[in-house]
Amino acid sequence: MSDKQSTSSKVALKILPYLSILSVLGIWQLLVVTGVVPNTLLATPVQVVKLFFYKIGHADPDGAVLIVHVLVSIGEALTGYLLALLIGIPLGLLMGWFVLAEGLARPIFEMIRPIPPVAWIPLAIFWFGIGLTGKAFIIWASGMVPCVINSFVGVRMTNPVYIRMARTYGASDWEIFTKICVPSALPMVFGGLQVALAASWTALVAAELIAADAGLGFLITMGRRLLMPDMIVLGMVMVGITGVIIGVIIDRVEKRLVAGVRR
Amino acid sequence: MSNEALLPTSSGAERPKTFREFVSAVFKNVYVLYTISIISFLLLWDAASVLNLLGKFLPRPMEVVYQLYDMFLNPLAGKTLLEHLWFSLRRVLIAFAIAVAIGVPIGLSMGFSKYVHAIVKPVFDLFKPMPPIAWISLAILWFGIGETSKIFIIVIGAIVPCIINSYNGIRLVDPELYDCIRMLGGNKRQEVIEVTFPAAFPAIFAGIQISLSMAWTTVLAAELVGAREGMGFIIITGMNVSKPAMIIGGMVVIALTAWAISVAVTHLERWVCPWKTKLE
Amino acid sequence: MENKAGVKKPKIECTNISKFFGEGQERIHVLDTIDLSVKENEFVVILGPGQSGKSTLLKIIAGLYKPSTGHAYLDGKEISQPGPDRGIVFQRYTLFPWKTVMGNVEMGPKLQGMPRKQRRELAGHYINLVGLNGFEKAYPHQLSGGMKQRVGIARAYANNPKVMLLDEPFGQLDAQTRYFMEQETVRIWETEKRTVIFVTNNIEEAVYLGDRIVVLEGKLPGKMKKIYDVNLPRPRDYTDPDFLELRHRITEETELTL
Repeated sequence: MSDKQSTSSKVALKILPYLSILSVLGIWQLLVVTGVVPNTLLATPVQVVKLFFYKIGHADPDGAVLIVHVLVSIGEALTGYLLALLIGIPLGLLMGWFVLAEGLARPIFEMIRPIPPVAWIPLAIFWFGIGLTGKAFIIWASGMVPCVINSFVGVRMTNPVYIRMARTYGASDWEIFTKICVPSALPMVFGGLQVALAASWTALVAAELIAADAGLGFLITMGRRLLMPDMIVLGMVMVGITGVIIGVIIDRVEKRLVAGVRR
Repeated sequence: MSNEALLPTSSGAERPKTFREFVSAVFKNVYVLYTISIISFLLLWDAASVLNLLGKFLPRPMEVVYQLYDMFLNPLAGKTLLEHLWFSLRRVLIAFAIAVAIGVPIGLSMGFSKYVHAIVKPVFDLFKPMPPIAWISLAILWFGIGETSKIFIIVIGAIVPCIINSYNGIRLVDPELYDCIRMLGGNKRQEVIEVTFPAAFPAIFAGIQISLSMAWTTVLAAELVGAREGMGFIIITGMNVSKPAMIIGGMVVIALTAWAISVAVTHLERWVCPWKTKLE
Repeated sequence: MENKAGVKKPKIECTNISKFFGEGQERIHVLDTIDLSVKENEFVVILGPGQSGKSTLLKIIAGLYKPSTGHAYLDGKEISQPGPDRGIVFQRYTLFPWKTVMGNVEMGPKLQGMPRKQRRELAGHYINLVGLNGFEKAYPHQLSGGMKQRVGIARAYANNPKVMLLDEPFGQLDAQTRYFMEQETVRIWETEKRTVIFVTNNIEEAVYLGDRIVVLEGKLPGKMKKIYDVNLPRPRDYTDPDFLELRHRITEETELTL
C-alpha cells in the first residue's frame, strides 16, 4: 500500500464534492433556462428558492403557510413514531425474555411484518379517515416493526454469563429482565430508532400524498394539481431537509441517553 | 433461539407430576403458545366483526377469504387477482433490473476510484433523504400515469441500496487479502478478479436483496397514487368502494408475496455464497 | 550460493534499515538501523514484545513496506515489492473465505499459470504435508484456528518460495494448539527445508523453534538488542535444563516479561 498521496490529488479530492454539487445545480438551472426541459415540467433551482421565501409568508395558492405544512407533517410523524417507540420497544423487550410474551405476540407480529408500511394506508384511511388519527396509525404501524425486532434481538443477545451470574444470586426472572437484559439491549434498541424513523417518515409522505389537506406530501400533490413544478420540488426538498433534521435530533438525544451505557 | 436454556421459564425439564404442573408446563411451551395465539387472534377477529365493534369496518375472516377467491376468478377492473399480482411483479422486476444494472456499477466505481466517490457521493447524499415516493408528483407530471412513471420511481427507490452496498462491499474488503495475493505473485488484474469481486460479493448481494424488497414496497406506493392495475390498485379500490374485505385480502396477498420473495432470495444467497456464516 | 572464498552468501540481508510512518508532527519512528543476515535454510526468530516493530521488519522483507533508509536483499537482489519468492503466513490467517482449502492452497500456482491438474497435485502434496488430508473441500469457516493456520502454511509453501515469513502465526491460538503447531512447524520445516524468518513475542516459542533468536528492544523505535544462538539439538524439549536455562537467560537479559 502506498505510503503517500500527492498533495495535488488531496486538494482535488477536497474540492470535487463542492464542484460536483454546484455542477448539478448549474446543469439543472441551465436545462430549464435554455428550454431543453420546458418550464412547465421542471422549475429552476432559483424558482424553487423564490417560492420558498414566498411561502414563508403567504398561504396561497395551496391554503397554508410553509411552516404550517412542515409542522403538520412533523406532528403527524412524531405522534405515530413516539407511539411506535412506546409500544414497540417494551413489546420487543418482553418478547425477547418471557416465553409467554413471545408465544402470544410472535405469530401476530410475523403476520404483520411482511406487510410493507404503505400497504396500511388504504385500511387506515378507511377506518380512521384523513385526519391525524389515520396518519398516526399508519406511521405507528411502520415504526413498530423495526422497534420490536431490534428490541427483541437486543434482549436475545444478552451475554449469557451475566444471566447465569444473576441466577446464582437468586435473582427472579423479572429482576434479571429489568436489571440485565434491558440495559444490555439498549444499543440495539437505539440502532433501531433511526430505522424506525426512516420507515415512519416515508410512510407519512406516502399517506399525505394520497389523502391529506395539509402537510408536505399534500404540498407536493398540490404542486401537481396546480401544475406548479416549483411547488413540487419545494415540497420534495422540504421533505428531505426535515427528515434529515429530525434524524439529527434523534441522534443527539440518543447520544445523551446512551452516554453511560457501554457495549 | 439460542439462549433458550437461559430463558426464565425453562427449568430442569422434570416430568410434571400434578395436573397443575402439567398445565403450567403446557403454557410454557412456545409452540403451544403460538397456536393459542393464532387461534385466539382469528376468533377475536371474527367476534369483533360479528359484534360490529368497529362498525361495518371489519370484515369476518371468512369474508376475506371469499373475497380473495372471488377476485381470483372474477376480474376487477378487467383483470383477475393473479393478473393484478403479475402487473405489480412485472413492474418490480423491470425496475429492479434497471436499478441493479445502473446502481451496482456506480457503487463499484465509487469503491474503486476516490475521484468518482468524491464526485458522486455528495450528490447521492443530497438525494438520499427524499423518500422515493416523494418523486411521484414529478414523475406523473413528466410521464403521465402510465408504466414509465411507476418504473421511474421504483428505480429511484431500488437503486440506493445497490449503490451503498456495492460501494461498501469494496471499501470494506480486508486489505490483508490484497497483501496476500500480491505475495502469492498476483498482478493488479488478478487482485481485482481473485480478491475484490469475491470479497465484495456478499455485500453486493445483500444490497440487491434490500433493493428487491425496496422495489416491492415502492411499487405499492406508486400504485396507490395512480394506477389502473396492480396490488396497490386493489387495496386502494377496496378503500374507494368501501369493501374492507378487499383491502385486507389485498394486504394478505401483498404480505405473502413479500415473504415469498424474501425466502426465495435467502435460499439463493445460501446457494451463491456458501461460505457466509449466518449470524442468526 | 557461494562466493569465491567458498563462504555461503546470506540468503536474506538487511542493511541499515530504518522505517518511519507518517509525516511531520505525526511521524512515528518504527525501526532504527537494523542489520540482519540470514543464512540459507536457517530458522531465525525475531523476538520482541508488542509495538517493537518486528512485524514491520518482516513486512519490509516481504516487500509490503519500503524501508525509509537502508535496503533488504534476497539472494543479492534488492527487495522492492511483494513477490512469490517469499511466502508469508499471517497472524489473522487471512485465508480466502470463498475458496475451499484446496482453492486457497492452489492459489499461488494458479496465479503463476500452472495448469489445473498439476497445481491440484502440488497443492495436494502440501495439504498432506501440513496434515490436512481429507479437508480439501472444507471452507475456512468450518475449520479451527490451528487448521486454518496450517492452510496458511500450505498455501505459502505451495508457491515454492525461497523464504518463508511467519508473522506471529500462533498468537490467536490457545496454549495446547500453540504447542502442537510449534511442533508441527519444526516437522514441516525439517521435511521441506526453507529459510524461515519467524516473528513472535513468546520466548518459549522462540527457543523451541529458532536456530538463532534476534531480540528487538521493547519500545519504539525497534532496535536490535541481542542475538542468541540456539545450539540445542532437535526435537527440543520444553523442560530440558538447557532449554530452560536459555529461556531464563533471555528473560533476564532482555527484561521481556513473557
